[in-house]
Amino acid sequence: MNKNEEQAAFTKLGELNQRRQEEINAAAATDLPKTYPMNELVKALHPATQYLKVTEIIDHGPDAKSFVFAPDKDKGTTKLATFQPGQYISLRLHIGDSYVTRPYAIRSTPLQAKEGKYVLTMKLVNGGFVTPYIWKNWQVGTTVAASGPAGELFYEPLRDGKNIVAIAGGSGITPFYSMAQAILENTLDVNLTILYGSRRHDNILLGDELQGIAEQTNRVKLVNVLSDEEVPGFEHGFISKDLIEKYAPAADYSIFISGPSVMYQFVMKEVAQLHLAPGRVRHELNGNTAAPDQFAGYPAEAKGKTFSMTVITRDQSKTIPAAANESLLIALERAGIIAPSMCRSGICSACRSQVLDGHTFTPTEFDHRRAADREFGYVNTCVAYPTSDLTLKVPVHDYANQFG
Amino acid sequence: MAKNYDVIVVGAGNGGLVAAATACKLGKKTLLIERHNLPGGAASSFVRGRFEFETALHELAAYGPKEKPQGIRQMFNWLGVDLAMHEIPGAYRYIITGKDGFDVALPNGREAVIDKIEEVVPGSRAGVSKLFDYGEECIKGYDLLQAGKLLQEVAKLAPAFVKYATVPYDQVLAELNIPLKARQILEAYWCYIGIPSDTFEFPYFAEMLVTYVENGAYAPTNRSHEITTALVHAIQANGGDVWFNTEVKRVLTQDGQAVGVQVGNDQIYGRQVICDLVPNTVYAKMIDPAVVPEHTLKLTNARQLGTSGYLVYLGLNKSPEELGIKDYSVFISSTGDSRTQYERMNTLDQNDFMIMNCLNIAVPGCSPAGTSLLYATQLYRDGSWDQVTAENYDEVKDKIARRVIKQYEDATGIKISDAVEEVAIATPETFARYMRTPNGDIYGYYGKKWGQTIARMANLDKEAQPIPHLYFCGGSSFMMDGYSSAYFTGFTIGKMACAALDKEGVKNE
Ligand SMILES: Cc1cc2nc3c(=O)[nH]c(=O)nc-3n(C[C@H](O)[C@H](O)[C@H](O)COP(=O)(O)OP(=O)(O)OC[C@H]3O[C@@H](n4cnc5c(N)ncnc54)[C@H](O)[C@@H]3O)c2cc1C
Ligand SMILES: Cc1cc2nc3c(=O)[nH]c(=O)nc-3n(C[C@H](O)[C@H](O)[C@H](O)COP(=O)(O)OP(=O)(O)OC[C@H]3O[C@@H](n4cnc5c(N)ncnc54)[C@H](O)[C@@H]3O)c2cc1C
Ligand code: FES
Repeated sequence: MNKNEEQAAFTKLGELNQRRQEEINAAAATDLPKTYPMNELVKALHPATQYLKVTEIIDHGPDAKSFVFAPDKDKGTTKLATFQPGQYISLRLHIGDSYVTRPYAIRSTPLQAKEGKYVLTMKLVNGGFVTPYIWKNWQVGTTVAASGPAGELFYEPLRDGKNIVAIAGGSGITPFYSMAQAILENTLDVNLTILYGSRRHDNILLGDELQGIAEQTNRVKLVNVLSDEEVPGFEHGFISKDLIEKYAPAADYSIFISGPSVMYQFVMKEVAQLHLAPGRVRHELNGNTAAPDQFAGYPAEAKGKTFSMTVITRDQSKTIPAAANESLLIALERAGIIAPSMCRSGICSACRSQVLDGHTFTPTEFDHRRAADREFGYVNTCVAYPTSDLTLKVPVHDYANQFG
Repeated sequence: MAKNYDVIVVGAGNGGLVAAATACKLGKKTLLIERHNLPGGAASSFVRGRFEFETALHELAAYGPKEKPQGIRQMFNWLGVDLAMHEIPGAYRYIITGKDGFDVALPNGREAVIDKIEEVVPGSRAGVSKLFDYGEECIKGYDLLQAGKLLQEVAKLAPAFVKYATVPYDQVLAELNIPLKARQILEAYWCYIGIPSDTFEFPYFAEMLVTYVENGAYAPTNRSHEITTALVHAIQANGGDVWFNTEVKRVLTQDGQAVGVQVGNDQIYGRQVICDLVPNTVYAKMIDPAVVPEHTLKLTNARQLGTSGYLVYLGLNKSPEELGIKDYSVFISSTGDSRTQYERMNTLDQNDFMIMNCLNIAVPGCSPAGTSLLYATQLYRDGSWDQVTAENYDEVKDKIARRVIKQYEDATGIKISDAVEEVAIATPETFARYMRTPNGDIYGYYGKKWGQTIARMANLDKEAQPIPHLYFCGGSSFMMDGYSSAYFTGFTIGKMACAALDKEGVKNE
């Protein structure tokens, strides 16, 4: 670069800076936009919190109820978020001293959500914590806070074939009910075969309602499988490989499983013999996991003990008991700490917390952590169990009002 | 309760993490506050079935091998972050499917690239060699500027930097008589910054090209989440605090100066406040408008939001070998003209510039044996998704995914659509959700001619503290977007804020 070129370059640089100042001076000094279309779309599609109000309660025999919800406009929720049939919302409740969440699959459809309606169907759990409370306390007009829709158990056109074989047990039917009704409403373009396990023919949760849907469309087939009795017109026994093959379509299909842990363990062994391509078998646990000592790798010496857990939340700390057979999350909830959680089955990582010292056990089946979280000592508290005294750093939410 | 800090950093994106790590490394009492329950912002990962997907990173620049550490590795070493990183084999493969198209796989290394381009476009050797000479000078130019050297000195030691400081990249390539096709091949990286090559300032592009080609690019073993988690640990190891799930609602001010932040009902005081946020967000709703100087407001209004992204993450139930995938990074378009590619990013249906990455090629073992982990990336200009609503969101999302997958299959002859085990899609809505940026912006501000690195850096001293004790780092700071840039801004701004504290000395204690 000769002197002239250098001079010319400096002049240009000076001009560039001058141009910058001119552009700035010429710009408006008006206020900046407070929001943008994509940020508004987030509020519609993925609200952090939805405030709901019970508008109707439907009894399904002694141990099951459906709750119909509308947006709680008084608390600022004006619309319900749309969702994929099969997804859940996680309810947030303040019961006694505890702040707890419970996920429930949305049993209604996206079309109904658009009209301001979600329906959840719950089974009363004997010895449960939340459902007995709900049975006792909820009435028309009760308000509750919930997460936005979440969960991975839904039809994905880029992955799944047009045929889905759904395997459900007990209240695990709810995601498939939503799919069946969405098919009827023409918003879900699949063929659904539901293999539905119940104990007795006269106590099938949503049985008549589902039968009603199946009668209106040949895209939904319902097969009831009874474990405790033999009744003509019903299958008998457990949902086995042979039974799946008997009813599964000849064409390419995906299997979706939703039910309690015991059913899942059984069904997975059967499904494995079908040799479907990986990805074509999807499942969601519906209900609690078994005790930790039922899983491989559990340190036997921890069984039956209660440990001491020091919990650090921002700039506070507190020491609480943590029973070996309950998840860290439950220990936190029992102690009245507003610990984050959503799916309660190890999937969503909302409960991610940092173990600063001490040991925990996560069953491999429920360990969906990121590799680096495993490497750096983070756990998902909903599926991690204490096996020694420990110190846990819990990222409590700054909004206590997330609980209705 | 300890509610007084030397430095409060808002946002644990790449910039904020390094700003906080730097401040506590320098002995300052530091608090990093993040709204999400994970660190990283754009730089993260997520698990679906057997796969852990990378959210953002294609290539980490300026890292370098252990024996020859580049800036970012040196910075990480200083911070105590030592991770096993994988060098990415080859630079990129670029397929232009339209007329006058080409399909070129660029290797790493200066001579190898020059040979390859000469082979594909005879007659380009001299020009491309010169381009690399210039690029090497430009790297030196940035180093000198950052070391505080005056332009006069830079002009002597790195003349190309000064000579072409205000000249667009494509124009310099044309002046070097590099044939059109070779120019197009050498312009692919424009997509990493989102400025077409007829507007992109030469020194920065040339620096980026040479950095990637000569020093290589890197990827972590366990996705970006491993880097960000390691940075959180570095902060904690140096006595800093990190709070997740905590949203900063307001930046507190007193007498026109930033004095802390508000979370929930708590006020937390800090002598310096560094925001890893797009300034628009802070000025629009997080601070008393009366303290925002008119010049700052005008500067912010004069700027333009950058680019957002659209990604399809694919977990495939076949190995790269079974599928026939050999390249880590493939750029595909129907035209090699970056201006046209850029203009099409304003539309949902015409945008046909895409990148497909297969992480297994760079990080073997990143997914289980017999599977592969792919992600396709497209960029969309601010505003192009504005008409997408809750009603048509799924449809738009699905349609683009199908188009992108087909485009890749057609261009490479590799069939992937029948091997999908897991799939996830991120759109501008997703980025708005996880990063909280305006309209899901992922690249900070667009680099208008007067607002790229040289102009931004020249005004750093003047603009670093728009309001006393309030700083910004990250993608919307004084560099452009990118991991290395965001780290670098966090490092520089962190040091600057600490130095100011040291200067104030005991008087505020
Ligand atoms: C994705 C998903 C979808 C689901 N969908 C449905 C559905 O559609 N319908 C349905 O009926 N169910 C559904 N479930 C199950 C549902 O979330 C609950 O598990 C079920 O309702 C039982 O809740 P419960 O509190 O009554 O019983 P439990 O959870 O069994 O209650 C007992 C538990 O509460 C703990 N506990 C006791 N005292 C306290 C205390 N003081 N503080 C804190 N914890 C305490 C105990 O340790 C014990 O673990 C779904 C689950 C998942 C994961
Ligand atoms: C798809 C994609 C691909 C990319 N590829 C590459 C690549 O290959 N190479 C490369 O170098 N770069 C790449 N980038 C760019 C790079 O990721 C970004 O430029 C960089 O990570 C931006 O960092 P940042 O510091 O600006 O923080 P951001 O990522 O913007 O993070 C900001 C953080 O602040 C938090 N926050 C927001 N509001 C608040 C509040 N009020 N209170 C508290 N916290 C708050 C957010 O939750 C977020 O965590 C890519 C980006 C994307 C999205
Ligand atoms: S609550 Fe979802 S992983 Fe624990």
